Amino acid sequence: MAALIIVPLISFLSRGGRGREPNFIDRAVLAVSSPLQSALTAVFSGVGSTVQGYVALRGAHEEAGVCRAQLAEAQAELNTLTEAKAENARLREALGFTESSSALSVMARVIGLNASPQFQSFRIDRGEDQGVRVGMPVVTPRGVVGQVVRAVAGSADVMVMLDPKSRIGALVQRTRVRGTVVGAGDGQKMLLDFVRREDDISDGDVVVTAGTDGVFPRGLVIGSVKGVSRPTVGLFLIGQVEPAVDLGRVEEVLVLPAVELSAMRAPEPRR
Amino acid sequence: MKGALLTALALVLLSIEAVLVRTFGFEVTRIDVTVAIIVFVAVRAKTIEGALTSFAIGYLVDVFTGRPSGLYPALAVLVFLLARAAAQLLDGKSRLGYALFAASATVGHSLVAFLLMWLTSKDADGRVLSLSAAPAQALLTGVVAALLFPLLSKIEPGERVDVGRYA
Repeated sequence: MAALIIVPLISFLSRGGRGREPNFIDRAVLAVSSPLQSALTAVFSGVGSTVQGYVALRGAHEEAGVCRAQLAEAQAELNTLTEAKAENARLREALGFTESSSALSVMARVIGLNASPQFQSFRIDRGEDQGVRVGMPVVTPRGVVGQVVRAVAGSADVMVMLDPKSRIGALVQRTRVRGTVVGAGDGQKMLLDFVRREDDISDGDVVVTAGTDGVFPRGLVIGSVKGVSRPTVGLFLIGQVEPAVDLGRVEEVLVLPAVELSAMRAPEPRR
Repeated sequence: MKGALLTALALVLLSIEAVLVRTFGFEVTRIDVTVAIIVFVAVRAKTIEGALTSFAIGYLVDVFTGRPSGLYPALAVLVFLLARAAAQLLDGKSRLGYALFAASATVGHSLVAFLLMWLTSKDADGRVLSLSAAPAQALLTGVVAALLFPLLSKIEPGERVDVGRYA
């Protein structure tokens, strides 16, 4: 029985917490759980729409009891259309982004967030079969989300930039100051690290990818600076960065092809 | 067979939680459903079967993280052994006792996970994760454990027959 503890523990400690390549058991578990999560996502989305419809219906009932049946029908239709409209807008926005980036981008839907608070990641419904590979950057039209850390046939896991293991080469758009954006681990913000104390950074500055990490292309928005502290000792200041994307509630993402050094382009300065 | 059923239940509950967490975002407090099942196994099942079931459930959690590293299978078996040892001294078979056990185990699980992740962090500067959510997580896990109690009792109704032989 001791082996049941010692073997995985040695594996964990020797890898320094890094994940392994998915083996056949992992793939089998994911082959079962990913479709289940997709189905549950669809069910919960449906229930959410129904609840919203119910709330709206109650209000309509109080105001116009006589027309309740007609109103319910109209409301249900409206809910469906509203949802479709919102989805349409998101997809159209994403499609525009796809056209302006690379033809090899893969559009994916988020089907679940990791239930363990120690790891900030989520699962998408596209995987190796659709060309998704480990290390690919994941974005939305609003900015950076994270990178793929595992891909199997029909799904992939994305480590979001809030994760404490996440490191992104960054650039303050206004002053061109370089640093590294590190996940704070609290599920809400990141930290801007390795920036000299005397460098010019202030609240509201937009932070973009520097393209120096070999994962993210240059010029993608990471977030904005919310609070800078300059310790009395030490070389570096500590800046807090609020992500541009609401990472916990993102529904669709784009998986970009792996960065080619020749394809890196300089970011446009903010006007 | 019971172990397989409990592992399958853990898979379903993890999938449900993953989808629910998606609704609320990363900052929401998670419920350690798997710890609740492992504690139940520790209180009710036979030692070897329980340890293997705990390992399997921990393995599932590991796979769900996206970066399986071996942390959760080891933690699951550790929690199983500690809960089994504690069950010799305290009542964990009643609904309330089991819920308290599960809540306590959640705190222990979070602390050990924090410690091990801190040890393996390159920076080792305490930035690896926040423990502030642990009390709320323990409370929620205790509540869910109490709700799961009837279902788990149907799957594993048997009394322990090998008390004391957990080493």
